[in-house]
Amino acid sequence: MSKRAKREVREERWRGLAVSEGLVVGRVLRIHAGARQVYRATIDEADIERETRRLRAAVRLARMQLLQVKARAEKELGADHAYIFDAHLLMLEDRKLLDDIESFIRVERANAEWAVKVVADRLLAVYAEIKDDYLRERGSDIEDVTQRLLFALSGGADARARQLKDDAVIVAENLLPSAVAELDFEHARAIATDAGGWTSHTAIIARGLGIPAIVGLRDLHRRARTGDMIVVDANRGEIILHPSQATLEKFQTGTTRRRDTRVASAETARAPLLTQDQIEIFLRANVELPAEFEGIRKFGARGIGLYRSEFLLTQRGTLPSEDEQCEAYKKIAALAGEDGATVRLFDLGGDKIGNSLAGAEHNPALGLRAIRYSLRHPDLLRMQSRAVLRAAAHGHLNIVLPMVADVRDVRCAKEIINEERVKLESEKVKIGAVKIGAMIEVPSAALLSPSIAREVDFFSLGTNDLVQYLLAVDRSNEDVADWFRSLHPSVLQSLRNTLDAAREAGIPAVICGEMAGTPAYAVILIGLGATDFSMTSSSIPRVRRVVAGIDVSEARDIAMQCLECETADDVEELVRSEFSARWPQLFSAETLPSPKEKK
Amino acid sequence: MVERRVVITNRLGLHARAAAQLVRTATRFQSFVRVERMDGSANADAKSILSVLMLAAAHGVELRLTAEGDDEKEAIEELSSLFAGGFGEREP
Repeated sequence: MSKRAKREVREERWRGLAVSEGLVVGRVLRIHAGARQVYRATIDEADIERETRRLRAAVRLARMQLLQVKARAEKELGADHAYIFDAHLLMLEDRKLLDDIESFIRVERANAEWAVKVVADRLLAVYAEIKDDYLRERGSDIEDVTQRLLFALSGGADARARQLKDDAVIVAENLLPSAVAELDFEHARAIATDAGGWTSHTAIIARGLGIPAIVGLRDLHRRARTGDMIVVDANRGEIILHPSQATLEKFQTGTTRRRDTRVASAETARAPLLTQDQIEIFLRANVELPAEFEGIRKFGARGIGLYRSEFLLTQRGTLPSEDEQCEAYKKIAALAGEDGATVRLFDLGGDKIGNSLAGAEHNPALGLRAIRYSLRHPDLLRMQSRAVLRAAAHGHLNIVLPMVADVRDVRCAKEIINEERVKLESEKVKIGAVKIGAMIEVPSAALLSPSIAREVDFFSLGTNDLVQYLLAVDRSNEDVADWFRSLHPSVLQSLRNTLDAAREAGIPAVICGEMAGTPAYAVILIGLGATDFSMTSSSIPRVRRVVAGIDVSEARDIAMQCLECETADDVEELVRSEFSARWPQLFSAETLPSPKEKK
Repeated sequence: MVERRVVITNRLGLHARAAAQLVRTATRFQSFVRVERMDGSANADAKSILSVLMLAAAHGVELRLTAEGDDEKEAIEELSSLFAGGFGEREP
């Protein structure tokens, strides 16, 4: 066997940032975006007309496709998400673009593909010079439109992407917005891209659809071939290309079991979830995109534990009116039903809003965001409060205040909400009772949770931010990924403090970060006293299955030992050994934290 | 020919959504419509989204709108009202 052939089949591994959880074994489907090879051909004088006609036909085809993409994006992602395709349509209709391309064909006697590429590159060069960050980014829209035009010139869209096989794993350098909206999601099992971050379009949509996704894989796209076997383990941020037989066997038993639990969950989904020792545990849904709404019922969520309301704003860059917001919240309440929905007030600022609205901050994660932003812009807070209060007349709604640092933030926000409540009452507008809770995600709030507990009706524990702030680690920064440890003893102690404070004050506490949706973590959290969780709804079945199989008293034993540990490594080692000894049927090796490789 | 001075009041400036609105509106009229930065550094055909985006007109930038043609008055009215209304964006 030649050296080269050997390399082709050897198992290769990549680590990336898992932006949507899950585990899939499938076959690679490479999608081209960006670097499409275009060659120059010189055409005969006599063929110039024909070449121009080819270009116009391609524009018509691309336009038809875009109209379909736009309609689909409106349906699946919401009208506000689809506006970008309107800009793309206008670019295709732009006389300036088409005139430039046509005249290039004529003057240079070039083939249409080459003309499109040269004209687009010139435009992109002009955009690259623009000083405004947001406008400069529009270059990616021009690239998107150009790629579409080139596809159309080659006789159609990338048909392979439309008719996916059942086990297709999308592998791309980066997915442009329209490519994402166009994918046949019914059959796409997972997404893996070389570029991208936690807030990229790919990430948001993958989470919305509940399919695993890993980004930041550097050169996977170049190394993978369509049809290759691939394992996407987004629970651990790992990709395995050409997995060996041994690896495959390990993972395939894992996926089969998971699929079985999904089928079984459809029947048991509505029944109360009890642990072996008869403690009731609530599993609710985190919701952002309209695409996620369906999952609430499908996976048997007990209402909506966290509605990320800033979706209403960030997806279109403009603030929805009070009436528009009210309608959106009414819809959320209706989806949640009797169990109710918790609306998290706009978590704006920093990364969520980019540089355009907030002005560039040196350190957005520590900047003017969430409740700080709302208190600085009280009109925003007033409008949102009125909308929720009004919508609450039609269903069960709560408000949770994001990123409070201490009781002062809570009091200031409550005062404004109460003023609006009184105003609405005096205006004789129908409103409903709304409970007000605090998001505990800043370390100071976790430390001071007893005093905050006396001011609010409930706690929501945002574990993602709490871990990030407590350990001073940016979770999207690969270089410090080793320091991002959800099971760090400091995290567990903060969570315990907060859960204890809630219990003493007699208020509920809902855990709503990524930790909730990871079965092994959820068990530890139950051991620390949590009974209420909110997660991406597609995670509910597997958490449900595990929770139903454990004893709270056993979880408590393990959690108490974890609290005594000095390092995250020690906690993870303890979890591995205790879980596999006590519940071998619930936790296979790949569902537990992986041992750290010694370097 | 009619002309009107406008200021960009929406915070995002003439970004994709606002530019799309401007272009969609301008193309409804027969008149030839141009958008020009008051400092004369750039000007654009209001019916071309690429050209409008290239103005890189951010919040606070002053622009001159000019329209020439049979429906120039109506065109300038409608277009300047888009700017006045901040392209439907509300200030937070």
